Amino acid sequence: MANGTWKIARRGNTQLPLVIVLALAVALVLLGKAQANLFDRARTTIIDRLQPVLVVVHTPVVQFDRWIGSIDELFTVYRENLALKDENARLKQWRNVAVVMQDRVKRYQALLHAVPDPDIHSVLTQVIGRANRPFLQTMILDAGSASNVKPGEAVVDARGMIGRIYLTGQHTSWVILLTDLNSRIPVTVAPGNHQAMMVGDNTAMPTLDTMSQTVTLHAGDQVVSSGDGGLLPPGLPVGTVVSQGGQYRVALLSDAASAQDVEILAFRKPPEQLPTDAQSQLPAVAAGLKPAAPPAPASATPAQPAQVAAAHPKPVAPKVAPPAATATPPAPATAPPAETAAPQATSPNSSETSADQTDQDR
Amino acid sequence: MEFSDRMGQWMSGRLLSALVPVLCGFIAVLFSNLPLSFTNGLVPAPLLALVPIYFWCLVRPDLMTPAAVFGIGLLQDIMAGGPPGIWTLSFVVTYAVIERQREAFAGLSGLAAILGFATASLVATACAYATVALYYWHLPPVAPIVAELVVTVLFYIPGVFVTGVVHRRLVGPLRSDF
Repeated sequence: MANGTWKIARRGNTQLPLVIVLALAVALVLLGKAQANLFDRARTTIIDRLQPVLVVVHTPVVQFDRWIGSIDELFTVYRENLALKDENARLKQWRNVAVVMQDRVKRYQALLHAVPDPDIHSVLTQVIGRANRPFLQTMILDAGSASNVKPGEAVVDARGMIGRIYLTGQHTSWVILLTDLNSRIPVTVAPGNHQAMMVGDNTAMPTLDTMSQTVTLHAGDQVVSSGDGGLLPPGLPVGTVVSQGGQYRVALLSDAASAQDVEILAFRKPPEQLPTDAQSQLPAVAAGLKPAAPPAPASATPAQPAQVAAAHPKPVAPKVAPPAATATPPAPATAPPAETAAPQATSPNSSETSADQTDQDR
Repeated sequence: MEFSDRMGQWMSGRLLSALVPVLCGFIAVLFSNLPLSFTNGLVPAPLLALVPIYFWCLVRPDLMTPAAVFGIGLLQDIMAGGPPGIWTLSFVVTYAVIERQREAFAGLSGLAAILGFATASLVATACAYATVALYYWHLPPVAPIVAELVVTVLFYIPGVFVTGVVHRRLVGPLRSDF
């Protein structure tokens, strides 16, 4: 084609610059590996500048998308209508059950003086762009650092979690989808509360890496965010387990391709507060006795465990004795059980203490 | 005075025509990386920037230099949002391949020309895939990159038409003074 129409220039002496440019490109990849957020500022600046255009252009594009998407639905509309009516009837029944359960949970919470879940602030925003690249699946939201959006926050739609923010500009933010190659989310699989890591691989269903090799999951098990790490709130619905080719995958509840209005959850796990006067609330102290000596170090001589055991006050001693008795008989080996016994003996009390403390705090 | 005016116009025209291929590459990158999908995200955006790179590397290699290709790849990396440097390296490697086999590629016409561009696209996507595999140290799924390759090749026909019109109107035929 080119030869038929265009005259061809002579080959220039580009070998040397080509080698230099090639070396620069390789250096850029290596630099990018060392510092992955190399272009983040430039990227967010460009998209921030394009934001007004994207907002304007987005609506007709979405309408066109819906129109294209609805063409094939014309042939299945009757069957889908029947299925939806059936599903709607079943959902109404479940709604009644849910209302009854909600009332019951409220009563139990009132009886137990349960600590309510922390309020999660959220920012409701609109999807103004989507990018489906071979190595990146992302969407762009119409809210940025000006709306107090921060990287790491969860993005959800009405059905479940879509992804999390990984880059924020002034007025826009980028979402890394759960299906993306770089996405890793700690999740809990119920029933059984199995901990797992959901890893995206650019397919529609992310893989599920369970923490334990002995865990057996079942198709249909519910996957929710575990909240480990403190960035994502626990219990966000994510999807259901699907077994595919000997591998567990997650069929996501949300549909990132069609989501238009999403919420960004500003969840920050409060730092865990230790009880201030836990020492004075130990059972021995509360009983007016001398508190137990600190546990002996691991390199203690065989004589020391006996001293430590003897130093325990009488009320604690019976609780210490059974683990020591069930442990290995030689005297030196009794040191670890004696060490571990003290926390065992005090742990129920300490939980009571923390509960009491919580009540006092309230 | 008249001579210097004419020289100035000639120089500015020459500079503009020299910048047109690179500008076309930048525009192609911006256009293909707009975060808008007309297919509900099913079809990936084509690598439109490969069309001007391929075209002017064959027709006017003096205007599409390795440095220009590096710049176009850099903008693609910034806009695409993947691991940094992936497309820069891919575009430069593709340029090197086209430049080495220039006589063979330039002699193609019709369907063979499309196959020539498909070969260049294959080099670019394969290089990007291999780099990403090394980057993450595991093989990413092949389907998205194959889809990208197919869409890029399909967009070559309208792309080369537009590029040809720009070349005729703004760049002009081969100049004799290089």
